[in-house]
Amino acid sequence: MTWLVPLPVILPLLGAGLTLMLGRRPRLQRAVSTTVLSAGVVVAATLVYETDRNGPQVLWIGAWREPLGISLVADRLSALMLLVSTVVTLAVLVYSIGQGMTGNERDTPLTIYHPTFLVLAAGVSNAFLAGDLFNLFVSFEMLLFASYVLLTLGGTGARIRAGTIYVIVNVVSSMLFLISIAAVYSATGSLNLAQLAVRIDSLPSELSLVLQLLLLTTFSIKAAVFPLSFWLPDSYPTAPAPVTAVFAGLLTKVGVYAIIRSQTLLFPESPLTDLLLWASLLTLVIGILGAVAQTDIKRMLSFTLVSHIGYMLFGIALGTATGYAGAVFYVAHHITIQTTLFLVLGLVERRGGSTSLIRLGGLARLSPVIAVLFFVPAMNLAGIPPMSGFLGKVSLAQAGIDVGSPLAYGVVAAGMLTSLLTLYAVAKAWNLAFWRTPEQAHEMARTLSDRQLPGALEVIEHRDHVHIGSGTFGSRDTDEARSILDEDDGSNQDLHQLSRQGLLPTRLPRTMVGATGGLVAVSLSLTVVAGPLFGFTQQAADDLLDRDVYIDAVLPEDSR
Amino acid sequence: MTASLSLILAASAMIGCGIYLVLERSLTRVLVGVVMLGNGVNVLFLISGGPPGRAPIVDESDASAMSDPLPQALVLTAIVISLATAAFVLAMAYRSWQLTGHDDVQDDVEDRAIRRLAAADAASDSYDLSSGEGEGELEMPEEEGSPA
Amino acid sequence: MLALVLAHFLAAACAPALVRILGPRAFLLLALVPAAAAGWALTWTSRMADGVVTTEVVDWVPALDLDLAFAMGSLQWVMVLVVAGIGALVLLYCTWYFDADEAGLGAFAGHFVAFAGSMLGLVLADDLLLLYVFWELTTVFSYLLIGHDPAKRAGRAAGLQALVVTTFGGLAMLVGVLVLGTRAGTFRISELLADPPSGTAVTVAVLLILLGAISKSALFPFHFWLPAAMAAPTPVSAYLHAAAMVKAGVYLVGLLAPAFADVPGWRGVLLSLGVYTMLLGGWRALRQYDIKLLLAYGTVSQLGFLLVVVSIGTRAAALAGLAMLIAHALFKATLFLVVGIVDRRTGTRDIRQLSGLGRSAPLLLGVTVLAGASMAGVPPLAGFVAKESIYGALIDIARHGEGTGLGTAAGWIVLAGVVLGSALTVAYTARFVWGTFATKPDADRLPAGRTPTGMLAAPLLLAVASLVLGFLGAPETALLAPQADRFPAGDHLESLALWHGPGLALALSTVSLGVGLLLFWRRASFASLQSAVKQAWSAERGYLTLVRILDRTAVEVTSLTQRGSVTTYVGVILMVVVLLPGTALLAASAGGSYSVIGWDNAGQVAVAAIIVVAAVQTTRSRRRLKAVVLVGVTGYGTALLFLLHGAPDLALTQVLVETVTLVAFVLVLRRLPEYFNDTPLTRRRYWRAAIGSAVAAVVAGIMILTTGARTETPVSAAFPREAVAFGGGKNIVNVTLVDIRAWDTLGEISVLVAAATGVASLVFLRTRRAGVHRVDPNALSAAADQTPTHPPRRIWLPASRTLAPDRRSIIFEVVTRLVFHTIVVFSLFLLFSGHNSPGGGFAAGLVTGLALVVRYLAGGRYELDEAAPVDAGALMGTGLFIAALSGLAPLAFGGAVLQSALIDLHLPVVGDIHLVTSVFFDVGVYVLVVGLVLDLLRSLGAGIDRQIVGELQTDAAELEEAT
Repeated sequence: MTWLVPLPVILPLLGAGLTLMLGRRPRLQRAVSTTVLSAGVVVAATLVYETDRNGPQVLWIGAWREPLGISLVADRLSALMLLVSTVVTLAVLVYSIGQGMTGNERDTPLTIYHPTFLVLAAGVSNAFLAGDLFNLFVSFEMLLFASYVLLTLGGTGARIRAGTIYVIVNVVSSMLFLISIAAVYSATGSLNLAQLAVRIDSLPSELSLVLQLLLLTTFSIKAAVFPLSFWLPDSYPTAPAPVTAVFAGLLTKVGVYAIIRSQTLLFPESPLTDLLLWASLLTLVIGILGAVAQTDIKRMLSFTLVSHIGYMLFGIALGTATGYAGAVFYVAHHITIQTTLFLVLGLVERRGGSTSLIRLGGLARLSPVIAVLFFVPAMNLAGIPPMSGFLGKVSLAQAGIDVGSPLAYGVVAAGMLTSLLTLYAVAKAWNLAFWRTPEQAHEMARTLSDRQLPGALEVIEHRDHVHIGSGTFGSRDTDEARSILDEDDGSNQDLHQLSRQGLLPTRLPRTMVGATGGLVAVSLSLTVVAGPLFGFTQQAADDLLDRDVYIDAVLPEDSR
Repeated sequence: MTASLSLILAASAMIGCGIYLVLERSLTRVLVGVVMLGNGVNVLFLISGGPPGRAPIVDESDASAMSDPLPQALVLTAIVISLATAAFVLAMAYRSWQLTGHDDVQDDVEDRAIRRLAAADAASDSYDLSSGEGEGELEMPEEEGSPA
Repeated sequence: MLALVLAHFLAAACAPALVRILGPRAFLLLALVPAAAAGWALTWTSRMADGVVTTEVVDWVPALDLDLAFAMGSLQWVMVLVVAGIGALVLLYCTWYFDADEAGLGAFAGHFVAFAGSMLGLVLADDLLLLYVFWELTTVFSYLLIGHDPAKRAGRAAGLQALVVTTFGGLAMLVGVLVLGTRAGTFRISELLADPPSGTAVTVAVLLILLGAISKSALFPFHFWLPAAMAAPTPVSAYLHAAAMVKAGVYLVGLLAPAFADVPGWRGVLLSLGVYTMLLGGWRALRQYDIKLLLAYGTVSQLGFLLVVVSIGTRAAALAGLAMLIAHALFKATLFLVVGIVDRRTGTRDIRQLSGLGRSAPLLLGVTVLAGASMAGVPPLAGFVAKESIYGALIDIARHGEGTGLGTAAGWIVLAGVVLGSALTVAYTARFVWGTFATKPDADRLPAGRTPTGMLAAPLLLAVASLVLGFLGAPETALLAPQADRFPAGDHLESLALWHGPGLALALSTVSLGVGLLLFWRRASFASLQSAVKQAWSAERGYLTLVRILDRTAVEVTSLTQRGSVTTYVGVILMVVVLLPGTALLAASAGGSYSVIGWDNAGQVAVAAIIVVAAVQTTRSRRRLKAVVLVGVTGYGTALLFLLHGAPDLALTQVLVETVTLVAFVLVLRRLPEYFNDTPLTRRRYWRAAIGSAVAAVVAGIMILTTGARTETPVSAAFPREAVAFGGGKNIVNVTLVDIRAWDTLGEISVLVAAATGVASLVFLRTRRAGVHRVDPNALSAAADQTPTHPPRRIWLPASRTLAPDRRSIIFEVVTRLVFHTIVVFSLFLLFSGHNSPGGGFAAGLVTGLALVVRYLAGGRYELDEAAPVDAGALMGTGLFIAALSGLAPLAFGGAVLQSALIDLHLPVVGDIHLVTSVFFDVGVYVLVVGLVLDLLRSLGAGIDRQIVGELQTDAAELEEAT
């Protein structure tokens, strides 16, 4: 079945080409994208089954004699990641079709979304499958460039600002990655991960530590590990809901995956346990404090996203089988749940006209569907049993207690604190956005009005110039300036005013709700299948710790 | 494997200056820096390939005198990607100039708001909203305690 | 048992629908579910007395030792009866409590039943983790129930508070459970009780678990959430805050006491907190005017009482404690339900307004008196029986320890506290009954409404139960014995009974009754005494301060980390690079072996020097264009280095790319201001310089060490042979690109697609499609007409006429006309010869692209469309499609993806043709790259042109308006 392995990458690329050629045929474009992504799901499912039964599936692209060419490897870990990510991607695509992302709306250009989204999908899948360091870099670039485009869709002020931060940080991290690759190649003369695993062993340990730290730093930027995580909350929330959703779900996890892979395969006996433990502790706590301080649900969730990366890092830092098993399970859980929540926020934004806690109110009564769709995953995120968040938390805590070092206990405590504060943050959001009546929201907003609302920029007009925040405009651009102001701050009206003017849709597109509900169902099903799933992740972890499984599958003895 | 200092010097000069420029606020400068960084990194690959040699094109003479073709292939990929980067960042700089009249990287607005709060020793809005409500009610048992 | 629990959640799921159909009558149906559970428990009654334990285990997550394990012994049996029985009655009561038009009733019903299910699961769970699962579920559902009326701010705040406080305890408990489980090697409660582990870790774990129990059962210092939670509808208070949820802590303590009562700290914590809470609650209760709050504080007090008795760990105490737990559930639920009726009937719960209710509602009064008497411990009610034997048990402990290890003094203090607490209980009971029903001179009598008889059923039943239970001491003893027997037996075998004969216990009962009544009689003076006593610190204030501190910290920390400036973020990242790999590098360089030479060849030095100078100059240039040109110099320099190193393909591509980049730069820079608007922040500048040079140094060091450490031969050593044999090409680099590492190339061209799409979307915003604008000979722009037509000139470029004359250059046009096709042909040559000599898809595509650039520069945007009348996006799409397809094609022939084949054809005239299928892939790349350049020209060139023209026109328009 190895011929299946490249399909999750090459099919979306084929699709991307097609959708570009079909620029004038939206319906066909949708058909193409949905088909290739669904195919991806099927292939991924098959690979999960195959790897579980027959071990890692290896394909040497172009049938080149190993280790000359590029190898794609699907072991248990890759296959699981692939399955989760393809499912999520498909759901998001359906959702965005429902939202009209792919239609002719003002800020959602027809011919941009499909190809870019497909390239993103291909990049993510390739990152999970790549068996070659440079090819991993290429897949990062694929998903990064796609994300640049999606993040700046419509080129509004807020998105350009966010995009600039995002692009610059990621370009720098790409450069770091290239530097690390150059270093690795000049030290070992190889790029194939399996071969590197063998060759790095023969390097002096100090030098391999340098390489390890280089790669770790590079991947930690992608995974948003403290203190390399500050860029994330500033860049994700401004994008359109489905885009933010797929970013939050997948991009950081690709980084986490890269960390897991490189740590286990290339640097098995890591001297960095304590460093990583500290990193995970700080990521957890500082991230969640950020979430507590936020007033916009989207931003709040971006901070929980960063914070919970700490959980996965904790499992990795412990370096035990249970630790990795927990981390892998948590990755699967977190991909699903974060994507779901951001999709729900898209619904909230559509129904409530904003995601700011200052403006929202009464959604529980206005739209019970959204209420359920938000509450369940929100509680899941906060690790309320019996949902997957709780299971992941418990498995990681158990792993920590098994190790039993003071620092490990410290991180366990931090983890518990984090989940308490997560609960506090989401419950706060629930109280305000869903329980509080719109009228109360309206009047509370007034009581706050002495303080300038976050995000609001003042417009000063004099002679032929307009100043907005820092920017200066010729009078010609006044209207544009206004529009930026709106973009920056949503409309300045709260739900109460908007709904009284009947500016809010009372019905939501069925596909959007359907896609979101589907993901909620998936996230709940993780609880039901937790038994077998944990079995799978545990075996995956065992494979990771016993490198020979991977190496033998990729390289025959003689060609190392 | 021996490394040529002049190559390393060139590479690290470009990397150093590139980073200096990336840390500037003007997007154009940042982009110039990125391009320079890219060139520097490409030279690194040259170094990682070992000593120079004949062009890696097979003919009668022996293959040992050839320069290592693999890093060259990588660099080719890297070059093209840096072209893509340049194009995109340029477009972004242009757009941000269109919007704001300058191409300087702007700071995040929400963060600015939070910093204002911190400076004012104030609590977050969400706190004021969620605890400002109902505090009185929580105290109710207390207040009612005093005999009428 | 699992089925019973699941049934609840199923019912909960259906509840909203049911309510929508039946209205409040749906509660009658829903009540059947817990009723069924209670009935099921009753069928076990006889066997419980024999100490039978029924169990059920279903695997769930073996990896976490988390199974759906249930067990019912006599303790669980009692709890099931309380939880399910009272649950059913309260649901029954809801039928009349709510109006049909109550908002959100469906959700309420669902949450209530779901809560009942979680509660049932909690008391039946035989696995500590499973127990925790239900524990948290009760918390969440209680949150939803408290916030049933979201318009009430108090409700929302109280809900959040209860959620946070109990979850805090819960998480502490979770850690405790996990530690305990790992130490014991099992989470199965029955096994833990069978042989309890010991050690410091266990002690800590147990204390953590107690934290959970204390917060859940609203013991000091967590008690404050309970009165606040009275914002919930009265049925919720009756069930959650009297009978069920708050009992969870008591249950847990009672459950673990047999195994862990002797753990150091157990009795110390629970007894002191218990007694204090009992007194605090009673004291506070006497200050309330809202009868519901009065009961709430009463509950707090009783919970303290219960925990004292249940935790102390003797057989007698356990027996009495269970009896008290049952009695309390009965009378407290009754009283809350009564409050609900009073509230509905009179519309107030304020003692100062309630008046004359006793006359108008004698039956209600009767019910209340019964329940109240049981609460106050008046014979012959259940409350009295329980309290009597509690006194007995405590007296024994005070007299001779009973193996609790309590000193005599401690024993007597506890006893005294309990007696005093009971006295307060008596007092507030009296206050409650009097306050609710008495006719007060100063209050005008309220209009007596009607109470539906059905609504009275539940309280009546419960009150009667309190009475009957009083006479059933013997059977009760028999049924509770199995649980009690888990504890060491005391001196004399005690049992629950109305009459133990005269003794200290009886005396104490009388004393507490007497004192209590006295307190009530002299209530005025006592109230003034109370208000005289100012307590400085209150737990709820503490909580609020904590939350505020938390939020402030959050704000401060966030303002520190989120500076919002990308410069800072990148700076931090680079510092990490310098710190981590940098320091490691220092360590490595100590022992590292390396060999370096000054230069490979003289040329290198020269070029390197140029590059360095150019690089440094770039950082100092204040003009945009200058900076761009200088960086271009570094680029071309790099190309030279490639050439010197023996990499012609690289050099070629680098030059082409550098040129295209320059063009793109210029196209955009024409719009941006000429100079950077510099802000001379010298300090910052030094920082940047420092970081830059540090990173550069680290990189240099890394390269020196790594090159020095290389021992293995590179993979590429085998390339030359394989390239020819298997790749069918002599130019190894090209074979690598289109064959050996074609997978990279495929990804990379998709990157190009994304990038170009992004550029287009940023320039055109609305759509990716730039649109193709051919020249329309009939309607040429004004510019074209102005061109002097005499003497008539030959048109060199079809669209050049669209340019203003001053922008035209005949020579340029002529040259363009001449070279354009030559360049294109050359590029095709590069494409097809690339496999064996320098060139290939990329180079070729870029060359064609440059040809287009020339056409555009010479003839303007219409000329570009004349030259390439195709949509750039579609072109790139085609390229990507071809490449991907040629990658998939081999699958059809049973090959691997991107596998190439060598085809040798012999054509009569042409001769031998040596074809490698990978050329198709390269063609795809070619097409795509052409598309890329075209796209850049369309957006950054033509697109911006149009925007300029547009602005000029609007300016002109404005000018006309002005004049």
